[in-house]
Amino acid sequence: MSGQASGAARLALPFGGDPTRPFLFWVLALIGYLAAIGGLALVLISDDLREWNRSLGNSLTLQLPAESSAARLETVLALLRQTAGIGGVRLLEAAETARLLEPWLGPAAAMDTLPVPRLIDLQIDPETAIDFADLRQKLSSIMPGAQLDDHRQWLGDFRGAAIRLASLIAVGIAAIALLAVVSTVSLTRTGLALHAKTVELLHLIGAEDADVARLFQADTLRLGLLGGATGAAAAFITVIAVISAVPLHAMTGANGFADWRLWAVAIVAALATGLVAMAAARITALRRLSLMP
Amino acid sequence: MAVVRLDNIGKSYGAGAAVLHDVSLTLEPGDLCVVTGASGAGKTTLLNIITLAELPSVGRLTLFDTDALAAGRATRAALRRRIGMVFQDFRLLDHLSARDNIALPLRIVGVPESDIRDHIGELADWLAIGHRVEARPQALSISERQRVAIARAIVSRPDLLVADEPIAGVDGETALMLVRVFERLNSLGTTVLIATPDLALARQLGCRHLHLEEGELTSPDPGVTQ
Repeated sequence: MSGQASGAARLALPFGGDPTRPFLFWVLALIGYLAAIGGLALVLISDDLREWNRSLGNSLTLQLPAESSAARLETVLALLRQTAGIGGVRLLEAAETARLLEPWLGPAAAMDTLPVPRLIDLQIDPETAIDFADLRQKLSSIMPGAQLDDHRQWLGDFRGAAIRLASLIAVGIAAIALLAVVSTVSLTRTGLALHAKTVELLHLIGAEDADVARLFQADTLRLGLLGGATGAAAAFITVIAVISAVPLHAMTGANGFADWRLWAVAIVAALATGLVAMAAARITALRRLSLMP
Repeated sequence: MAVVRLDNIGKSYGAGAAVLHDVSLTLEPGDLCVVTGASGAGKTTLLNIITLAELPSVGRLTLFDTDALAAGRATRAALRRRIGMVFQDFRLLDHLSARDNIALPLRIVGVPESDIRDHIGELADWLAIGHRVEARPQALSISERQRVAIARAIVSRPDLLVADEPIAGVDGETALMLVRVFERLNSLGTTVLIATPDLALARQLGCRHLHLEEGELTSPDPGVTQ
C-alpha cells in the first residue's frame, strides 16, 4: 500500500472548533460587502459617464430674446450655418418651445402673451473645435441678449469628477483585495498554529504539501464564498434600497433587481472574495509546510 | 539494497553540544534492531532523522537507496510513506476516532473506504482493540492508545517500522503482545527499528542491539556490527 499515489481526499481537520473561523467569516463578509459596493458604484458611475459622454457630443442651445426680429433671426441662423463645428441648426417653433415650458408654466399658460425666448438647437460636430469666444462676440453684435448655453463645460466638470471618483473606487477595490489577502493570511497562520499537531502528523506520515494545503484552501474557499456571498447580498440590498429611494435610474439606467449587471457584480464580488481567500490560504499553508524537512 | 544507511551523521541544535555525533548505521531488509540508551542519549533524535522528521546537521542519510537529503519534497513524502512511525507520545489526533486515526496513512494514499474498513477491522482485532475503534483517544487507556498508535504505523504495511519506546507505560501482558507484533511484522519482511531504554526488551527480542551514549552509537554485544 505504501507505493500508492498521494491524494488526501478523505482527510479532515477540526475546523468546527476553530475560534478563528467565525471571525474569518465576518471579515470576509465585510470584504465581500465593500468589494460589491465598490463594484456596484462603478457600474452606476459608468452609466453616468456614458450618458454624459453622449450629452457632450449632442447639442448646444442658443437662446434669443423674445422680441427678436425675423431679419436678425435669419442673420443669426446664417452665421451659425457658416460656423465651423456646427453641423446642424434648427429654430424651434413656438409650439415646440411651449411644450418644453409646459412643465413649468402649465398647459393653460397663454404663451402668446408671455415673452418666451426663441430657441435654436445646434448639433455639434465633435471632430471640429468651435471658437466659442468668437461665436459669442458675433452673436452679441447681431443680437444683444443672445445666450449660448454651453452645458458641455459643467458636464465636463462632472465627468472629470466622476472619473476621479471611479478611479478612487478602483483603488479602494484593490485595497479591499489586499485587505482580504492580509486578513486571510493572518487568520490562516493562526489556523495552522492551532492545527500544528495535525499538520505535522500528516507531514510525518507522508502527506504531500499540496494535499495538506488543500485542506486549508478548500475550507477557506467555502468560508470565503459564504462570507463573500453574505457581504455581496448585503451590498446588493443596500444599492437597491438607495436606487429605490433616489431615482438614480432616471439618469443611470439601473433598473434595480431587473438589472443583470448588478447581479453580475454581486456574484463576481462573492466569487472573488472566495478565490482570493483560498489563494491566500494555500500560499500561507505551503510556506509554513516548507519550513518542515 | 539497504533500507537505512547513515554515514557519519551528526546533529546539534544551534551552538549547543552535539546530540548525535558521527553516527553510522546500516539496516538491511528484514533486520530487527533495538537501540538502547538512557534518557537524553539521542535515541529520539536518531529516530527523527531516520523518519525525516528532522534533518541531520552533518552526514549522509540514505533511505531505500535514495539520498534523502538531496531528494525533493515529493520524494521525501514518498519515502515517509514507506516508513511507519510509532511516536513516544503517540501523536493521536483527539478529534478523530481510533479508527480514523489508524486510517490516516491509508487515506493519504487514497485507499478505498471499503478496503480501509476491512483492513482496520482485522488489524484492530489482532491488536485487541477491535471493540474500541470508535472511541476518541482521550477515552482510551494508555495501553489502548499505544496499540492504536502501533496500528496506525503498520496499517499501510510499511517497509520500515520505527518505534520510539513502544512499550513504555504499558502493562506486562500488553508489552509481551506488542513484542510479538513486532516479531511477526519482522517475520513478514518488515525492517524494524526500536528505541528503548529497557535493556530487558533488547535481550527478550534477541536481535541486533545497538547502544547510544551521549550521542555516540556503540555495539554492546561482542561481534555485532553496526
